[in-house]
Amino acid sequence: MSKFTEGIAKFSEKQKWFHWCCHIGENIIKKPVFKCQDCGQCVLSYNGFTCPMRCPKQLRNGPCGGTRHDGHCEVYPERLCIWWLIHKRSKRLGWQRKLKKYHIPVDRRFENTSAWINMFAGRILPLSFKGEPDDKEAPNKL
Amino acid sequence: MVSGSRFERLLREGQFVVCGEMGPPQGADKNAIVRKCAYFKDVVDAVNLTDNQTAIVRMSSLGSSVFAIEGGIEPIMQLTCRDRNRLAQQSEILSAYAFGVRNVLCLTGDYQSFGNHPGAKGAFDIDSTQLIHAVSEMNAGRFMSGDEVKPPPKMFIGGAANPFAEPLEMRVLNLEKKIAAGAHFIQTQPVFDIPRFEKWMELVRKEGLDKEVFIIAGVMPVRGAKALTYMRESVPGMSIQDEYITRLQNVAEPKKENAQEEGVKICVELIRHLKDVPGVAGVHIMPVMWESITPRIVEEAGLLPRPEPKPLEVPAVQPEEAPK
Repeated sequence: MSKFTEGIAKFSEKQKWFHWCCHIGENIIKKPVFKCQDCGQCVLSYNGFTCPMRCPKQLRNGPCGGTRHDGHCEVYPERLCIWWLIHKRSKRLGWQRKLKKYHIPVDRRFENTSAWINMFAGRILPLSFKGEPDDKEAPNKL
Repeated sequence: MVSGSRFERLLREGQFVVCGEMGPPQGADKNAIVRKCAYFKDVVDAVNLTDNQTAIVRMSSLGSSVFAIEGGIEPIMQLTCRDRNRLAQQSEILSAYAFGVRNVLCLTGDYQSFGNHPGAKGAFDIDSTQLIHAVSEMNAGRFMSGDEVKPPPKMFIGGAANPFAEPLEMRVLNLEKKIAAGAHFIQTQPVFDIPRFEKWMELVRKEGLDKEVFIIAGVMPVRGAKALTYMRESVPGMSIQDEYITRLQNVAEPKKENAQEEGVKICVELIRHLKDVPGVAGVHIMPVMWESITPRIVEEAGLLPRPEPKPLEVPAVQPEEAPK
């Protein structure tokens, strides 16, 4: 991350109101567009801009064995399986290879915090617009 | 060699292994397990002990694994992500190893709304790939937190794969991820669709994954056409060919007995077929509430007597020095 973004992250740590504003701004965009679940460690750009936390089992590394043949979820038959969507959208973007990336367990301390600020502070994975997986590990520190 | 368990040694020697499956009792009865062990002794190489399968409360997998060892069979403990968070999962691994359990199968677990406590909260703290990684790290001497495990367990780690659910590409990719996370063996969902299974295996072989992991194909003996129709309609992610259902429906009178015979025949046929698929290291026979049929199926499939692995040259775990 650049000096500018690090500066924003530092500023938000001192000024809580700024962090709240960022969080609210993020929710206004992400909730209606991606049905954001507010985990605070966004992996949208790794999964074809589809949030895996919408899965009832919150699986971040691939589908369970219960995807129906029409691509619907085993728990909620009226919904599409989120991993079916991730696969379809990643394929459309040419990002299937990026799905091979292993995602570390969710740090529950990040829940209900701004993923943008977390990213600027280098606490979570940076955005990725490449089709290939990189070896970058999530720093996973508070 | 990781754990040095009998099951692992057989796989590494290149033997075609046979696994059984046992559902722990829905009650506090130890003998229910010890009695069932008689069906499996000298018939299969290891037995899966399910962990609250279909989200119905039963004796825990760890508890039943301990009784299985007492009964003289080698257990494969199942560990799901539904019932435990990462702390409980890691402590379960430590207890299991201390009790002498050497094989663990890491699963996501059926969703709680399908079971007898539909209002329960599922943990789903980490997913099955992350659990495989966590156990693999524990083998290497580290907890998920990075703290040291002293002494570390040495578990033979398994994962599950479903070759029949969509999308097929994702199923191979998922397998690749589980192997990278540290899985040593893979057990699949029951096969009732050989062409689809072969297609999946072909993709697996193309990626060279069959060389990195032992793939154990699942088979399920059924007692009648009703069970198969039910599974096709109500169990998501299953693929069942019409051929088997019609065969079970068109048996002569008396229907019940003949359907059972036909069910065994289908299961034996499937095992014979799977044995010839390149890259398949064994079969996993999972009768639901019908464990007593296992010996007959193994015998008719020509898999008896079970081979004995070569003895370990060095003990898997060095005994600790007694304090002076």
